[in-house]
Amino acid sequence: MTASDLVALSPLILLSATALVVMLSIAIRRHHGASATLALLGLAASFASLRWAASVTPRQVTGLLLIDGYTLFYWGVLLALAAAVVLLAYSYLEHQTGHQEEFYCLMLLATAGGLVLVASSHMASLFLGFEILSVSLYALIAYLHLQRLPLEAGVKYLVLAATSSAFLLFGMALLYSETGSMQLATLARFYMGAPNAALGAAGWAGTVLMLTGIGFKLAVVPFHLWTPDVYQGAPLPTTALVATISKGSVFALLLRWFHPAGSLAGTPVWWAFVIMAAASMLAGNLLALRQNNVKRLLAYSSIAHMGYLMVAFVAAGPLAVQAATYYLLAYVITILGAFGIMSVLCSGEEECCELEDYRGLFWQRPVLAAMFSAMLLSLAGIPLTAGFLGKFYVMAAGASSALWLLLFVLVASSTIGLYYYLRVLVVLFSSLPEDHVKVMLPRGRVPAGAGFSLAVLVILLFVFGLYPAPLWDLIRGISAGIG
Amino acid sequence: MQLWPFVVYCALVGGLIAAMLGLSYVLGQRHQDRATGAPYESGIVSEGSARVRFSAKFYLVAVFFVIFDLEAVFVYAWAVAVREAGWPGYIELITFVLILGATLAYLWRVGALDWRSVPQGRKAR
Repeated sequence: MTASDLVALSPLILLSATALVVMLSIAIRRHHGASATLALLGLAASFASLRWAASVTPRQVTGLLLIDGYTLFYWGVLLALAAAVVLLAYSYLEHQTGHQEEFYCLMLLATAGGLVLVASSHMASLFLGFEILSVSLYALIAYLHLQRLPLEAGVKYLVLAATSSAFLLFGMALLYSETGSMQLATLARFYMGAPNAALGAAGWAGTVLMLTGIGFKLAVVPFHLWTPDVYQGAPLPTTALVATISKGSVFALLLRWFHPAGSLAGTPVWWAFVIMAAASMLAGNLLALRQNNVKRLLAYSSIAHMGYLMVAFVAAGPLAVQAATYYLLAYVITILGAFGIMSVLCSGEEECCELEDYRGLFWQRPVLAAMFSAMLLSLAGIPLTAGFLGKFYVMAAGASSALWLLLFVLVASSTIGLYYYLRVLVVLFSSLPEDHVKVMLPRGRVPAGAGFSLAVLVILLFVFGLYPAPLWDLIRGISAGIG
Repeated sequence: MQLWPFVVYCALVGGLIAAMLGLSYVLGQRHQDRATGAPYESGIVSEGSARVRFSAKFYLVAVFFVIFDLEAVFVYAWAVAVREAGWPGYIELITFVLILGATLAYLWRVGALDWRSVPQGRKAR
């Protein structure tokens, strides 16, 4: 390990050190504000060091991690998301009983796991990243362990994620026994039917097992069953974390793994992704139709959104990576905003996530309701928002690879999806019922940190929806060197 | 790969289990007495339910032990490659052990190692 390697790893090292510092600060003296501030400072330092790390990239560090423009871009995204979650979590946890400080430590660790995942070019680092992420999430989901739902969600996630890790590990073992390599790039070559590289039965079995493990983390059909329960049960900042950092980093890994030079099209792995994409879009949108809990609704919609992402993923060529990255970015901004607004609104011990709690929200909290509507419209893919352009790029990528059947499913299921997003919108803007005595969402000032992060998210939502050129150019630059 | 040794092996395993269970079924004696169903056929009659609640503190300490013991295994892994790893490896190991130390300090300070039912700090106050 040389000095340049350390420079390339500096964002990751700084982030891990921050988690340690937060933990020690708790040991010295518990203070909610101090822990949150330390976490924010660490994230900022880590973000700042991206520039420094960029001076020595692209660089393969120790055979496990590949630090290049693509990695650094996703690192930046993950760190920014984590900072937004810290701000939102601070206002949310203020109202909760029990210890609040450990949340930041665990959250930083989860982010570090995501960073490792994005950079990994080797099965060992892939698994390490997976585990760092999962183990922190077990604790984060069950963070409010005195309440029934978070505990239940935590246990469910623990059992299912541990099982999926076992699948992943066994798949890795089988693939290694067959190919003799643990480098992801070498494995990808096997799938693309390179000369004298054919997989036997054990290799394919290993591939299926690995896809199971990864599919679980992404919550694509048929590995989606945990999503609604975990989304509903987890505290809102954790839900935002699962929806953004966990899924985003796994998807970034998948993109990097399967999109080097060469094309998957027509191979068995490709067909697996196509089927998962179509099934996720349909099942996610159809199941969301009858949900009366906003968290569950967004959980099912997240399954559908992973399906849309998969459409861009199975498309061939450089456009696929760019479209998928743009869509992912638009999606994480939107969903973080949506969960952020919910966490600001639910300022009591009890979360108010039933659809009825939001009836007439516009007449009580106009600004937050307008922001929430913008997020919902972006999720539905209405023009002027980032969600629309993301979907547009996904369509363009799919069309350029002539994936007509998938595109048809995408259009049809987005139309179904429109119904339930509009259903929430109607509730937001409908008049308050006559006998409305219980004000679920009390008036009050939005905490400065949470308000700031929400404002930034809304601005980004519109900037990326109206003026995508700078971001698109950036994404084109980083995805050029992916393979 | 030749499959038949494996098939023979499986058949032998199955045959052995069948023989053990079958022979004890045929040759064994059967009786149905007063104490046959009891947990202990001799000695004192058991009282109450077996579902006793144990203090979770012992469990916590056991988990800490397992975790720290497991971490120590990584030090062994380094020890066999100490020459190959060289000074960078040494520095990495020191970092690792320092992180473990910090974790221990954290556990100590939050009172996780305190296994009395009333923590000392709270009693003093």
